[in-house]
Amino acid sequence: MPPDRLSTTFAALADPTRRAILARLVAGEASVTELGEPFDMSLPAISKHLKVLERAGLIRRGRQAQWRPCALEARPLKDAAEWLEHYRLFWEQSLDRLEVHLRELQSKRKQRGRKH
Amino acid sequence: MAANTDATSTSKELVISRVLDAPRRLVFKAWTEPEQVARWWGPRGFVTTLCEMDIRPGGAYRVGMRSPQGTHHVRRGVYREIVEPERVVFTYAWEDAEGRPGHETLVTVTFAEEGTKTKLTLHQAVFETITARDEHQAGWASCLERFAEYLARS
Repeated sequence: MPPDRLSTTFAALADPTRRAILARLVAGEASVTELGEPFDMSLPAISKHLKVLERAGLIRRGRQAQWRPCALEARPLKDAAEWLEHYRLFWEQSLDRLEVHLRELQSKRKQRGRKH
Repeated sequence: MAANTDATSTSKELVISRVLDAPRRLVFKAWTEPEQVARWWGPRGFVTTLCEMDIRPGGAYRVGMRSPQGTHHVRRGVYREIVEPERVVFTYAWEDAEGRPGHETLVTVTFAEEGTKTKLTLHQAVFETITARDEHQAGWASCLERFAEYLARS
């Protein structure tokens, strides 16, 4: 996934309302009105959040003129989760190597200390 | 090996901690001296090809590494805080093939003394550079995990 795409995904996920909307969509399609019910927010405000999610490719919207149901689009979320997992592995393995490096460093120092 | 991992499962962001059998000043130096960083930074089998580090707040770094498969990767960023021997904070992004930085994150590494050992805690914030801190207090990582589970089922 291109890095700018990842930034778009994370930027979209950075908002609690948008995360709540996505969580609701896990249960299945929903209309804008349904999605707005749990929030103390105007429909235009909800629509704005939906546009951000749509642009980030996290949801898709139906084409029916009146009732345009929103549905979850899984791929970007999966990519974001994988990206995080890669980072975790990267750090864990780096820290393994750091441990080895520190051990070597200290045993060298001890050896030098004995010579003096 | 004293290893303890607390990854994305419950925390808001990526947090990894580990107790290292070395005094704190030594661990701090291993993170801030380029010749030392070149020896350990990167997964198993990776070789450091380039290591430029301007260790001071506002100073930039650029580190290149080659994977066992021969692919080349460059990470870069800017140091935000250098508090010897307690803490290092820096931005972190991978460059793409054209040398453009990708998604930027903020990494905070803290070093705490535990007797003769050092507890290292690494915290990687994914949104920090995009939106205000307060906006992402509500468990987005666990949110991602729930979606991953959902995807695994569907």
